[in-house]
Amino acid sequence: MSSNISGNAYALTILSPIKDGFTQDEIAYADIVRARLQGWNAEHNSPMALVPQTYLCRYFVLDDVYLESLPGGSAIDTLVDWLPFVPDTLRRWAWPKEDHLKSRYLVFSCNFHGGPKADLDGYLRGMWNAIGDRIKEIWGYCYGFDQVDNADKFIDYMKKCQLTATLFFVGSNDDPLEEQLKALYLKQEFAKFAIDNQGLDAATVKTNFQAFIDRVRPSELDGPTWKAGAYRVDELVELKKNKG
Amino acid sequence: MTKQLDLLDIQGNILRAYGRFGYPVARYVFLNVRNAAKGREFVGEITKKVTTSVEWGDGPGKIKQPDRTVNIAFTYQGLKDLGVPISSLVGFSPEFASGMKERKDILGDDGPSSPEHWDPIWRGNRETREKDVHIFISLNALAGQGLDWLTVAEKNRDDAYAWLLDEINKTEGGVVLLDGHLGDDDANLNYQDARVVLDNNGVPTPKEHFGYTDGISDPVFEGVPYDERRVKGRGKQMPGGTWAPLATGEFLLGHVDEAKEYPPAPEPILLSRNGTYMIYRKLHENVATFDRYLEEQGSKFPGGKALLAAKFVGRWPDTGVPLVKAPDAASNAKFGAQLLSLNAALNAAQKKGDKESVKSNEQAIDDILSDFTYDDDMSGAKCPFSSHIRRINPRASLEMMNEEGDKPGSFKVSKDAFDTPGALANRRRLLRRGLPYGEVKDRTRDDGNHGIVIMMVNADINRQFEFVQQQWVNYGNDFKAGNDKEIILGNHSMDDNFPSKAVIEADPDSDQPPYILSKIPRLVVTRGGDYFFIPSMTALRMIAQGVIDPT
Repeated sequence: MSSNISGNAYALTILSPIKDGFTQDEIAYADIVRARLQGWNAEHNSPMALVPQTYLCRYFVLDDVYLESLPGGSAIDTLVDWLPFVPDTLRRWAWPKEDHLKSRYLVFSCNFHGGPKADLDGYLRGMWNAIGDRIKEIWGYCYGFDQVDNADKFIDYMKKCQLTATLFFVGSNDDPLEEQLKALYLKQEFAKFAIDNQGLDAATVKTNFQAFIDRVRPSELDGPTWKAGAYRVDELVELKKNKG
Repeated sequence: MTKQLDLLDIQGNILRAYGRFGYPVARYVFLNVRNAAKGREFVGEITKKVTTSVEWGDGPGKIKQPDRTVNIAFTYQGLKDLGVPISSLVGFSPEFASGMKERKDILGDDGPSSPEHWDPIWRGNRETREKDVHIFISLNALAGQGLDWLTVAEKNRDDAYAWLLDEINKTEGGVVLLDGHLGDDDANLNYQDARVVLDNNGVPTPKEHFGYTDGISDPVFEGVPYDERRVKGRGKQMPGGTWAPLATGEFLLGHVDEAKEYPPAPEPILLSRNGTYMIYRKLHENVATFDRYLEEQGSKFPGGKALLAAKFVGRWPDTGVPLVKAPDAASNAKFGAQLLSLNAALNAAQKKGDKESVKSNEQAIDDILSDFTYDDDMSGAKCPFSSHIRRINPRASLEMMNEEGDKPGSFKVSKDAFDTPGALANRRRLLRRGLPYGEVKDRTRDDGNHGIVIMMVNADINRQFEFVQQQWVNYGNDFKAGNDKEIILGNHSMDDNFPSKAVIEADPDSDQPPYILSKIPRLVVTRGGDYFFIPSMTALRMIAQGVIDPT
C-alpha cells in the first residue's frame, strides 16, 4: 500500500508551479493566488466545505525553501575541517550547495475519505463538480492549467502535480465524512441528554431516551447531523435551532 | 550541603504568607511617581523600613517579630520612571512590560471580568502617565494576643499607614497616592484593605467568603529555614511518595530552577538576584450565585450538597481535609475530630510554651491537611479533575494514561514516560499570598465589597502564573477534561448556547454514573491587578541611589 494511504483515508499533496509573471498592477501572480486564498477566510465558510468527503485541508503559497543553517558533515568538508592548511576558498567550495525552488508553488494538502480503493479520481471529480469555478480562480495562474476545462483534465493535471508525501492531519479517523459528522453530533447530543436526565428515575430516563433516539436518528446519516465545514459560532447556533 | 538563602536580602512577603504568621489585617497602597529624583529618595526612605525574610525569635541572627510589615514592588513603568536604565529594563520579561490588562485574552479576563469593569485605579492604569500604577506598598499588621486582637491589629495598620502618608507628603508631589479602589457602597478609597474573614462571633477564620479554607498548599522551596518541616505535599513529589523542596529558582531570580537553569532576568545580576515577580489580582466573589448554584446542584447530586461543595474545591469546607484522604462525610468527620483535638493540644502547648509539643502537633495537623498524592485517585473518583486544588497543583496526577482494555474513564499512572512524578507540575507552581477583603453583608446578593486579593509570586509570570490561568483554570485538556474549566475560578461562559460544564468523576469500578455540573455560572470576577517586580534589598538601595548600571 502506498505510504499516503492509511486504511480508507487518503493524504493528497499537490504542488503546482505558479507562473513567474505579474499583472498590469505589478503584482506577482503568486501574490494574487495568495491574496485570493486569504480572501477565502472572509467568506462564511471555505469553498472546500462543499467538496464531498474532505476531512481537513490546507492551502498555501510556497515562495522558496528556507535554510536555517548550512548542513555539514559530508566526507569532504569534514576532511577539510581537519586539515588546517586547506585554503579558505577550498573550504567554501566543499560546503554543500544551497538549494532553491525554480518557481513559486501553490501547495494543496488534503486528507479525504478515499474508501477501500483509494479513489483519488472520484474525490477530484467531486471537487471539480462542486467548486470548479473556485478551483480555476486559484489554479488559474499555474503552469499548464490553461488547458484544464473539465473534470477529466483536472484529474490528469492534479495527478501530474502530485507528491506522494505522508502528510496526515490529526483529528479524524478513516470513516466516511458523513459517519464522522454524525458520530460527533451524536456524542455531543448524548452529553446533553446525560446532563438533562441525570438523577431521574429509570422509567423516565427510558421514555426520554426513546424520544432522544427518535429525534437524533442514529442510523440515518442524512438525519439530524453536523454540516460539513461548519465551525463558526453563529452557524452552530443556527444548527441548534434547526434541529428543534 | 543544604542551601542557605540570604534572608537579609530577600523581602519578607516572598518567603512568608503573613496571614499565617499572625498578621490578619493588611492595607495595599499604589503610587504614581511624578518626579524621578524625589521618587528615588522616597524609595530610599521606605527601604529603611522594609521587612526582610530574616528569622523571627530569640537567638543569634534572629529579630523580634515586628508589629507591622512593609514591602514594596514596582511595575515596569514604575521602574522606568524611577530611572532604571533601558539596558536593564529590556531584560525584564515581555509580559511584565505589557502588564495584566494587555494580557486579558491569555488570562481569560472577559465578560464581567474584562478591564472595563475593573476598579477605577486599574481602569486608569496604563492609560495616561498620571494614572499609571508605579509603586506597590503592602502593610500587614500584627494582631494582639487578647480579645482586642483586632483593635490592636487595626491600630498597627493605621500607624503604618500614617507613617507612609507622611513619607509621601515629604516628597512634595514627587510621589502621588492613587485613589480608585472601590470599598463598601462603592466608596472611592486611596487603598485596598484586606482582612481575614470573621465568624459570627467575631473570631478570625482561615476561610474565604464562599466558606472554604484557603492557602493550605503553598509551595515549599529550597533554602527557607522556617519551611523545612512543611515539605510534605507542598514541595515536589518524588518517586516512592516522598517529597523534596522545589528548586529556589522557581520563585527567586538569580537561583537555579527546576530545569537546572537560571530563570531569565534583567542585568545587572545585583538588580535581579533575590528578587522576583508578583501578580496582584483583586477577585470579587459572587456569593449569592455560588450559594444558589450549590443549592440547586446539591439537591440533585447523589452525594448531597456538602459533598458537592467539597468536590468543587477538593477539600471539605468545614475541616479543610482533602477529598483524597476523606472521600465521604464519615471519614471527614473522623479527621475533623482528630484535627479538633490536635488544635486543642496545639493551643495548650502554645500557652505552656512547650516548643516540642507545638512542633509535633503542627506536624500532625499538617500531615492530615497537606501530605497526600493523587496516585490512588488517578480516575478522579475522589477529587474531581476540575476541582480547585487539583487544577492549581496537580502534583503527579497529569502523568495519567488509559490503555486499550482499561475501563472507560479509568486512568492510571504512566510509569515510564516521565523522569519524576512532578515532571509536568514542578515548573508551574505559584506562591500564593494575600487575604480576603470586605465583608459579605447580604448573602442573597452578588454585589457588595467582598472577595480575595491574591498575590502570586513566581520567577516567570508566563511559564507559571499565565500558564496555570490559561491552560489549567480556563481549559481542561491537560486533565483529559476537554474544555471543562476549573469550577470555582473558571471564566465560565454565560452564553445560553455554549454553557460551561464540568464533570464530577465516578469510580470506574462502580456502577455509578459521573455527575455533570451544567450551566456553571461565573463565580469569581476579576476587579483589577497588574504585574510587579519585588526587588531584593540590595536592588532597592541601588534603585534609590540611581546607580543601576548593567554595562
